[in-house]
Amino acid sequence: MTVKIVTDSTSDLPVEVAKGLGITVVPLYVHFGADSYRDGIDLTTDQFYPMIVASKVIPTTSGPSPATFTQAYDYLAGETDQILVITISHKLSATYEVALQTVDQMKRKCRVEVVDSQWALMALGLLAISAAKAANSGAGLDEVIALTRKNIPRLDMRIAFDTLEYLRRGGRIGKAQAFFGSLLKVNPILTIKDGEVYPASRERSRAKAIDYLYDFAAGYSHIDEMAVEHATTPDEAEMLVGRLRTKFPKEDIYRSKVSPVIGAHVGPRVLNVAVLGEVG
Amino acid sequence: MAPTKSINGQDLREMFAAATSWLEKSSADIDALNVFPVPDGDTGTNMLLTMRSTVEESQMADDHSASRVAKAMAKGALVGARGNSGVILSQIFSGLSQALDGKDAVTGKELADALAKASSVAYAGLSNPVEGTILTVIREAAEAAQAHAATVSDDVVSVIEATANAAKESVAKTPTLLPVLMEAGVVDAGGQGLYTILEGVLHYLKGEMEQLKLRRPWMVASSVPLTAKSPQMVGVEEVPYGYCTNFVIKGEELDPDKLRKRLEKRGQSVIVVGDNSAVRVHIHTLDPGDIMSYVVPLGTLHQINIRNMDEQYHDFIEMQKERMPAVAVAIVAVVVGEGLANVFTSLGATFVVPGGQTMNPSTKDLLQAVEAVTSEKVIILPNNKNIVLTASQVQSLTEKTIEVVPTTTIPQGVAALLAFDYEADMETNAQNMNKARAAVKSIEVTRAVRSTRLGGLDIKKHQAIGFLNGDLVAVGDSPAAVVQDVLGRVKLDTAEVITIYYGDDTTSAEAEEVGGTLGKQHPQIQVEVVQGGQPYYNYIVSVE
Repeated sequence: MTVKIVTDSTSDLPVEVAKGLGITVVPLYVHFGADSYRDGIDLTTDQFYPMIVASKVIPTTSGPSPATFTQAYDYLAGETDQILVITISHKLSATYEVALQTVDQMKRKCRVEVVDSQWALMALGLLAISAAKAANSGAGLDEVIALTRKNIPRLDMRIAFDTLEYLRRGGRIGKAQAFFGSLLKVNPILTIKDGEVYPASRERSRAKAIDYLYDFAAGYSHIDEMAVEHATTPDEAEMLVGRLRTKFPKEDIYRSKVSPVIGAHVGPRVLNVAVLGEVG
Repeated sequence: MAPTKSINGQDLREMFAAATSWLEKSSADIDALNVFPVPDGDTGTNMLLTMRSTVEESQMADDHSASRVAKAMAKGALVGARGNSGVILSQIFSGLSQALDGKDAVTGKELADALAKASSVAYAGLSNPVEGTILTVIREAAEAAQAHAATVSDDVVSVIEATANAAKESVAKTPTLLPVLMEAGVVDAGGQGLYTILEGVLHYLKGEMEQLKLRRPWMVASSVPLTAKSPQMVGVEEVPYGYCTNFVIKGEELDPDKLRKRLEKRGQSVIVVGDNSAVRVHIHTLDPGDIMSYVVPLGTLHQINIRNMDEQYHDFIEMQKERMPAVAVAIVAVVVGEGLANVFTSLGATFVVPGGQTMNPSTKDLLQAVEAVTSEKVIILPNNKNIVLTASQVQSLTEKTIEVVPTTTIPQGVAALLAFDYEADMETNAQNMNKARAAVKSIEVTRAVRSTRLGGLDIKKHQAIGFLNGDLVAVGDSPAAVVQDVLGRVKLDTAEVITIYYGDDTTSAEAEEVGGTLGKQHPQIQVEVVQGGQPYYNYIVSVE
């Protein structure tokens, strides 16, 4: 039976991509005061960003409820006997722990394995896409796990920020704290390294920051998968995709938006590029 | 959610038991924050053990009244207190129990007032209360609780929510109050512990059992930057550390206040709390034997715990290394002017040596800076053409590996610093920084010290003169006009960012006007006006 892939909503997978590949996306939660929303289901990115401007309370986030995972497991167990769950880095969220702890609570019998991606955003998304493609072409669970583990160090991502204030407030700033508090206006560019947020570069203007993202992706000699995602600046994302398309005419470039849960931690105007492939 | 008008003793027991489990999940992370006043045991672990004793003792209360349970908890906290923060935590419970005396149940307002009492008791227990610690956090949290209860709602849950939120903000700000935290780029460990306890209480009161079980607390991130300082530079003020000494004295007619005064002469970080039958002591001393001999006649000694803080410091340094980006390369920059020095530090310069146009530092000054940083590899940014040569002499005087990126102006120095990459090695960094340096245009405007004729320009004494990349190109009566003049000679169609650093004899109003005019003339350019505070130069401007 085909291995089923489960990931969480911080993978920022576009709905049609997840649907097309048969990937189940378990939502995290965004809270505005007492109101809770399932990430990407009750609240879309386009609804979310105007709310952080309008709302007096700062949104907070929490991991998926255990029930969502057990329901997903039990539902999929009706179709398959092998499930692979790929989650956001455990250093950024408790999702991995919840996914793991709820395996025992499922009612049906099915082999479930959980892998910590050590990534988030579309880097996690690309990992799930790659796993689903392998599963759909007949790879068994152990094979898909091996592929996924092999892919983790082949991933990379650069995220351009306007401000690090949201990351700091949410406590996820990690080693990018080194870039926080600059007395000059800078456009910080961050990545994820060993599962946590890490400083990559500082550019003096938005245009230079976007050039940096382009140079980063253009430096790849071989690309399995690539994605460009944004929060509130679709035109910039479109232009970046256009530039990358002249460099990589044959490859598909996924386009995506950061989910509200990610949005609560990164703020508006982030733009990022995730690549699975070989540099050089 | 149904309003919670009041809580009783059983609620107190359960909410603090839940908070203790919550704290347990992050006690190791809190240990890793430990920096004040010296690495004093393990704050997270100490607070956890204090809470455990508090919760255990709460079961001993002979009824379910808030009064009795709080009293039992205060007793449990006192006998179980460990370390600096643990002892302060025990004072907080002591304050709560005093305020709840005689009450069966507690309303939100009463709870807020009890927190205020807890805050004042915590302050009173210390001979020298330090802000930016757990003390600040309990005080600000209690203030927020009282304000919330008085003006918004008396509901217990909503009061605790306001308390926890205020505690979180207070924790984030601790580095602004305590330089040693600022240096380490961490928040206060004890404050974080207190916030975590309040957060655990809140989860419990909101009925979020799933949260408590499956999630874990997050560390509050500092509201100030973590600069690229070497971890070994953290908290260097208080060496040698000696021994962290803790014990309880039981006896009759003990006098905590008198004992505190006596002990202050014999050590540091003295905390003495308790009553006339049991007193807990925490002290940092070079000679624990001396302390023991002094207190032994006062009563019987219990729970004696003496730890070598130098060892703890070593462990702490090892932990710190994990937390920061590995800073194998340090950056020494020559900068004059407080504003400019802050800019360089905020961008990650490890060490700023004061100096510039009319006050060139000596090779020895630079050597001292190079030796002071712990990295074996050091990049020097001279930021002035008269200092480049001095900087290049340093290599012959030190065993460390030196690269001089020959920046001749402040804008070049800033551009070079921004190009520093935590991932790259020293050679790559030096190359990238050199490239970045060359890409920026520098304008400097100062006053002529004498009349002269130079570069085809007639200059009168005190007139404003403008340099572009070190060459004299403009003269005029006002510095602001000269800035405009020089900018007119630069190709601005490809420029993206102009940064104006104004000097100590230039008003911010004038500088803002220069920036405003420029922004209107070139709306596509991002113009930033920054107080540089440099002497002599009215304006230093970078065009990128």
